[in-house]
Amino acid sequence: MPSSRPASPTSASSPSRFRSEEADINSSLTFGRDGNSDRLGANFAGSIVLHGLIAGVILGWAFLFHTSGHNWGENASNAGAIQATMVSSLPLPPTQRTLDTGVLTSEAPSPAPIVTKERTEPPPAPNEVAIPEKITKPIKTADKPTPAPPKHIQPVTPPPTKAVTGETAGVRIAQSTLEVKNGTASVSVEDRTFGQRFAYYVNIVNSKVAQNWYTAEADPRTSLGKSTTIIFDINREGVPSNARVETPSGSPTLDTSAMRAVQRVDGFGPLPQGDHITVEYTFHLHPQ
Amino acid sequence: MHRPNRTTSLRHAYFGFLGVLLLLLAAASTLLAQEGFKTETSSGVSNIRIAVADFKPTSADPQTASFKQTFDSTLFADLANAGIFDIVSKSLLPQSTPGAPAEIKIQEWANAPTSAAMVAFGSFNVQGNKIICNGFLFDAKNLQYPQILAKQYDGDATDDMARQIAHRFADEIIFRLSGGSQGIAESKIFYVKLTGADKEIWQMDYDGANQHAITHLGTVSLSPRISPDNSRLAFSSLGREGFQIRMYSLVLNRMVNFTATGGTNLSPAWSPNGKDIAYSSSRTGDPEIWISDANGGASRRITSFRGPDVSPVFNPRTGSQIAWISGRTNLPQLYVMDIDGANVQRMTDGGYATSPSWSPNGQFLTFAWDRKYGPGAPGGQDIYVMEIATKRWIQLTHDGGRCDFPSWSPDGRHIVYANSPDGKATHMKIMTMLADGTQKHELTGAGADMPNWSWK
Repeated sequence: MPSSRPASPTSASSPSRFRSEEADINSSLTFGRDGNSDRLGANFAGSIVLHGLIAGVILGWAFLFHTSGHNWGENASNAGAIQATMVSSLPLPPTQRTLDTGVLTSEAPSPAPIVTKERTEPPPAPNEVAIPEKITKPIKTADKPTPAPPKHIQPVTPPPTKAVTGETAGVRIAQSTLEVKNGTASVSVEDRTFGQRFAYYVNIVNSKVAQNWYTAEADPRTSLGKSTTIIFDINREGVPSNARVETPSGSPTLDTSAMRAVQRVDGFGPLPQGDHITVEYTFHLHPQ
Repeated sequence: MHRPNRTTSLRHAYFGFLGVLLLLLAAASTLLAQEGFKTETSSGVSNIRIAVADFKPTSADPQTASFKQTFDSTLFADLANAGIFDIVSKSLLPQSTPGAPAEIKIQEWANAPTSAAMVAFGSFNVQGNKIICNGFLFDAKNLQYPQILAKQYDGDATDDMARQIAHRFADEIIFRLSGGSQGIAESKIFYVKLTGADKEIWQMDYDGANQHAITHLGTVSLSPRISPDNSRLAFSSLGREGFQIRMYSLVLNRMVNFTATGGTNLSPAWSPNGKDIAYSSSRTGDPEIWISDANGGASRRITSFRGPDVSPVFNPRTGSQIAWISGRTNLPQLYVMDIDGANVQRMTDGGYATSPSWSPNGQFLTFAWDRKYGPGAPGGQDIYVMEIATKRWIQLTHDGGRCDFPSWSPDGRHIVYANSPDGKATHMKIMTMLADGTQKHELTGAGADMPNWSWK
């Protein structure tokens, strides 16, 4: 066993230590007595410089990177998002971000307009403004095609009974469209006269569902730029029911988030007229 | 002797240390860079912009002006406090005062600078001893069929009635435009008023108007709780047998019976069907939660743990759960259990929690919480809202002094609470805010405490 061990360090280093001690003696001999005090001062200065350097590095680091720290309330990886969601699920409309540029919405007094002295431009010298040369294009004459009369009477296609929301430019009066942060929500009521007569109710339906649509639930990798249409009924008391996907978007998460938005609503308030209406609601997620 | 060699080795050590430090800092900065992101889910849905016109006086009665002044300011304040409207400043309204649908030029109101989506207007007149008021709500964006609401009110010619009519009309508007949630303009707040050495139960309107005393017991009465049908008021009061639950009938305007028991009985709470009362009673020596019927009979004990159990509150949506404060693990914490005492669940993870109140939809609890309790700890007692399903919370008050006794409004959009800017009990005043912590304002002056919002 002892043979397998490496040689003991003392035995190995002892010659070198001797050598270094000799060197020490030599150096102390050669440098003499008066060199001692100077050496102390240099070391002292060196240590001060080094400490100063370290302090400088730390301070400089703090100065350079002090902005990239934690923000309050963001300790967990998703704490900020969670709290925002909770506030929006309180039965309150989400707080509006005040437009700071608007004169009426901003708290800060608007700055006085800068009055610049009117200066009259000196008239240009007669040779300064170049007169563009007139470009005359050769007049093209197109030969008029004479359409041949159709041999057979064309079959009349019946107009579509239902407009596919967001894709056709049909006449949809009973509709309201709302831009949310990164999506568009539009609603159309099938009973057109209802939507015309009670446009405010359509707006309430629209904003109430839009408030409850958490666009973060839809996976942006698959849902961006897609839209889904949900159909649901509103009964006399204003309670939504029978929600179903009419036009799937192809992104299941977007469909689910849209369904949940409708399901989260407790009620829209009693219908002003009739005992139920059917509502078609389109959710469109677009990139921010 | 060894000095030169040692200094070089020390110098090496310095540089090595410096290098390690740099490496550590670099590692820390990359870690920070990875975590530095923000998320938000606020959608840009805007509030409904509503213009409230001054009503048109249509009678020459000398009282009209003062009543109409009360009516106009009350209606404006009600809609501004509702939390669902952007209200158009009165200085931006058109000059005309329409009093009837034929007199309004709706386009005037829809155009800038008013830019209103909705207009509330009408006529107000006093005939003999009657106020007759016609109120209309028009959709300014719908020129073809603008009318949403038309209402007529009449009542005795008093200032109070003018305010009542304004509250009723405001509630009607809020009901139509909020998507079916009832307005709270007619709800009441009950509270404890400091009158010298005594504390009496007082009542006021939700906006702080019409403050008046309910009890004149000449003793200390605490924690008033109104029954769901607004007919009875339960509170605890100091008498010859110590603190007992007392009952006051708002229908009969006198005290009614509630069976007294031994021990200290505090903090009553009504079940949503109005048949049961939960309260804290120390008749067995340790303060526990008991439930009895509305007359104090058939009482049964719910909790049986060492340590005080106080401040029960029923889940108003289901009536099958109770949230309360328990000191079973030293400092008082918020707990939730079923009405039979099963499924005890601790909600807060520390600090000092008091006085819970359950939101009307059953989804949230609001309570006062000193999150870092102890000598020299940062922060103070503030109002918090917790989502029960997930136990996530948000803080609603910050640095406003001691806050306590939050109570939800019936629409779930407001919270009333007591606040003392300097922490002194005699300086407690009642404040109200929206349930997300915005629009805080005072309802009373100093000397008012323990507010309780009526159920409707």
